[in-house]
Amino acid sequence: MSEGLQMMAYFAASLLFIFSLRGLSSQETAGQGNTFGIVGMLIAVGITAAAMLFPAAEPVAEVAQAGAEAAQSGHLGVALGMLGGAVGIGAVIGAVLAARVQMTSMPQLVAILHSFVGLAAVLVGIGSYLQPPVHGGADLVHLIEVYVGVFVGAVTFTGSVVAWGKLEGKIGSRPLLLPGRHVLNAVAMLGTVTMGVLFAMAPGTEGVHWLLGMTAIAGLLGIHLVMAIGGGDMPVVVSLLNSYSGWAASAAGFMLSNDLLIITGALVGSSGAILSLIMCRAMNRSIWNVVFGGFGTEQPKKKPKEGEAEPQGEVQAVEVDEVADMLMAARRVIIIPGYGMAVAQAQHPVKDVTTLLRDHGVDVRYAIHPVAGRLPGHMNVLLAEANVPYDIVLEMDEINDDFPRTDVSVVIGANDIVNPDALDDESSPIYGMPVLEAWKSDKVIVLKRSMGAGYAGIDNPLFVNDNTRMLFGDAKDSMSRLLSRLRELNDAS
Amino acid sequence: MKIGIPREIAARERRVAASPDTVAKMVERGHEVWVQAGAGAEAELSDEAYVAAGARIVETALELFGGADVLLKVNAPQETADGGHEADGIKEGATLISFVWPAESAALLERLSARKVNVFAMDAVPRITRAQKMDALSSMANIAGYRAVVEAAQHYGGFFAGQITAAGRIPPAHVLIIGAGVAGLAAVGAARGLGAVVRAFDTREAVREQVQSLGATFVDFQFDESGEGVGGYAKQMSDAYLEAEQALLARHAAEVDIVITTALIPGRPAPVLITEEAVTHMKPGSVIVDLAAARGGNCPLAVADEVVRAHEVTIVGYTDLPSRMPRQSSLLYATNVYNLLGELLGPDETFNLDKENEVIRGAIILEGGEMRWPAPRPKPAEPAAKPAADKDAADKPKPSLAAPKPSARASEPRSSKGHGHGHGTSSAGSTRTTAIAVAVLSIVLIGLGFVAPTEFLRHLTIFLLACIVGWHVIWNVSAALHTPLMSVTNAISGIILIGGMLMVRGGEWTAASILGMVAILVAAINVAGGFLVTQRMLRMFRR
Repeated sequence: MSEGLQMMAYFAASLLFIFSLRGLSSQETAGQGNTFGIVGMLIAVGITAAAMLFPAAEPVAEVAQAGAEAAQSGHLGVALGMLGGAVGIGAVIGAVLAARVQMTSMPQLVAILHSFVGLAAVLVGIGSYLQPPVHGGADLVHLIEVYVGVFVGAVTFTGSVVAWGKLEGKIGSRPLLLPGRHVLNAVAMLGTVTMGVLFAMAPGTEGVHWLLGMTAIAGLLGIHLVMAIGGGDMPVVVSLLNSYSGWAASAAGFMLSNDLLIITGALVGSSGAILSLIMCRAMNRSIWNVVFGGFGTEQPKKKPKEGEAEPQGEVQAVEVDEVADMLMAARRVIIIPGYGMAVAQAQHPVKDVTTLLRDHGVDVRYAIHPVAGRLPGHMNVLLAEANVPYDIVLEMDEINDDFPRTDVSVVIGANDIVNPDALDDESSPIYGMPVLEAWKSDKVIVLKRSMGAGYAGIDNPLFVNDNTRMLFGDAKDSMSRLLSRLRELNDAS
Repeated sequence: MKIGIPREIAARERRVAASPDTVAKMVERGHEVWVQAGAGAEAELSDEAYVAAGARIVETALELFGGADVLLKVNAPQETADGGHEADGIKEGATLISFVWPAESAALLERLSARKVNVFAMDAVPRITRAQKMDALSSMANIAGYRAVVEAAQHYGGFFAGQITAAGRIPPAHVLIIGAGVAGLAAVGAARGLGAVVRAFDTREAVREQVQSLGATFVDFQFDESGEGVGGYAKQMSDAYLEAEQALLARHAAEVDIVITTALIPGRPAPVLITEEAVTHMKPGSVIVDLAAARGGNCPLAVADEVVRAHEVTIVGYTDLPSRMPRQSSLLYATNVYNLLGELLGPDETFNLDKENEVIRGAIILEGGEMRWPAPRPKPAEPAAKPAADKDAADKPKPSLAAPKPSARASEPRSSKGHGHGHGTSSAGSTRTTAIAVAVLSIVLIGLGFVAPTEFLRHLTIFLLACIVGWHVIWNVSAALHTPLMSVTNAISGIILIGGMLMVRGGEWTAASILGMVAILVAAINVAGGFLVTQRMLRMFRR
């Protein structure tokens, strides 16, 4: 196995990963993109295994050296057995998870997968330290790489587990704000740096204690950081953890002198960073504010609005029959799904209602706010699962101008993303966040379980508008009854 | 308080100012409600229904007017059959809510003023979003527009919707609606609903979209004067304009089968839009429904309250269209009146006349007999496009004046439309930030160049290049695919599997190799799970 071949194979894998991500720019090429990724991964793993099996005569690269060593020590078979066993078990677990997860639990799955990468990075880092690299020795740069890699990996690991917990509902979605939390974080960082110095100064592998100690601190830091973020900001958190897992892989690449790891890690890291940026822009808050600021934490003091002609009014409740009449008489309808729809698992009756209305000649479209749901693109996945054709599912920027010409907007389980205060109430915590301007349509129907506040815990004047009607109840139940009523009307006409 | 609802005595009036529903609400609020016997009879609202809602039936108008603190009426008080006047019987200091038309009722107002009455006019309620529930002009106009189409259909000898039958082709009716206000648009909707081919005309360009949204064509009229007046009403135009208008409408009238005209100017006679000459050119059997007949008519041949025939064209001049559907009109009007009443009452259910309240200020005509009308004129309408108001603009929502059909709330969003873009950073600031970032980065890189081993620098180069490639590639991913993107990148980051492989290289059971095995296992879960779940998701998208 020549070095050159291995390098070319790595290069091919890198290219395939790049094209894999590019494939996701449109629905048509997305499947192709996924395939590229699979092929790239197979090549990468395969060539690495081959390099171990068939070491070159003059091995230079890390991997080949490893193979040479193994062959010499006669433990090659064991090595392959370990490898095969681990891969096999892991793959089976992964496949089962993938097959059985419900789309509404997608955010949790993504979160827990991030934690695995973090864990792997930590293990690889510690292992790499204990097993000094073949050439170059344990020099300072290598030690730094190991240290940073383990740090990022640990934060990613515990942070992702907490994120999983919050999404799954096992941990409360309210942010945990310890007094002096910024001090705590600062102390943790200080401790990390201090231990880092001690670690670097320790000879041989004696610094492993410092390394493990730092791992523990980093782990706590990861827990603390994510616990301090409210459930409503989860889309940003998940994207950030996605990013971290990439940087962790890159750091591993530095320490193991493996270009493929570096490149791949960088691709993943930038991907997560961009998604986080998009989420933050969509909420009009800076990333620092989200990660450290803890919005949605102080209960916003509601200042009495001076000069506001509209007093706090009453909501007007409505029943399914009236909603059905409104929809059948409408020409243009926009549906705005929110996390509530996911929780209620209402996407299937929503789809059926859509089909019925479209057959009846009503123009029905969906408006997706960038931070709707708990994961970027969450709503799209749910709607796709329900077979809603994706050409009627539009982004906020594409559809926001159409609300004035819309007859009925139906808000399902969404709150902050349709709150007009975000546009004109400076005292509101969500001020400045772009929202879907549902109130500009002729009529608005809001499906909500009760008058309880949304994740941000703030009032929404949309509910008391004159042209808004509230349809209380579980979204799935309401939509199902609406569907029956629409069918009755349809059959009668 | 005692709230009285008398029977309307105006000719052809069949509406009543309260429904059993609104009566029940008033009773629930603690008031005593008196309804004159037979008040709702013509609207199919029986005395029994009122009693069941909690009202007391009063036999005579005298008793009712004399005892009520609040009078709810449809039409303003007028002369009675025996030569008296309804207003004379009103209790001193009482409150009257009805249609008043203060601009033309000076004599009436004098009479009422003598009795120190408070008067609120349903026709003077400002046409803002918040007051839509009190807007009787719109609710009645809506009914009138609909009913106009029904009357047209009755007098028209053909179908509205076209058909192809074995016995021949039945052509659809072509309808021209003049004036696209509340009544006009209602007529457009009703005519379209029956299947006609509809075109509509209005001097205000702003209503073009509303007309088109109902499926009708908007008649193009090129003339330099703007038709938009104050308060969203059309304004009276110059003579040249009027002539051009008449010529255009005559041309269209000759092409259509049915013309429904709704053009009114506040306080003035209705403009003449379909001249007699135009009528002579219309197709025989055509129908004109003139909703402005009470004010002279948009067609001079129209006779108020009658159907006439001229030049083989039927001209309907009914002025009581809402009264022809008295039950529905009464229900809507009663709601409008009740809502206005609610606006005037304070929490203790007595009158609380807050002059800062835009609705109250607009609707009040007399207060204790003193003239309060008209309210100071509103500012002219803003252009319909969103003003890019800066952040210091006033919080108060401006009255929405773009059309008589109250349009959306005028408190426009104050942040500029920065969808997807940063909020608040000026371009000058960001250039400077970029410059600083570049400077810092350069220093760091150069510094590293001096200090760091070449191996590291090589890695760093690759790393930075990969970041840049990643940056550019990811921006193109569509928002709908963000979730599959995350699961794919997850799967790809399972590449750390390779790191684990390096640690089991010795094949010996060392701490490192065990750690490596675990790392491989965990990473393999990511790889398999990530790719497979992505595949599953993408399959859903493809369907």
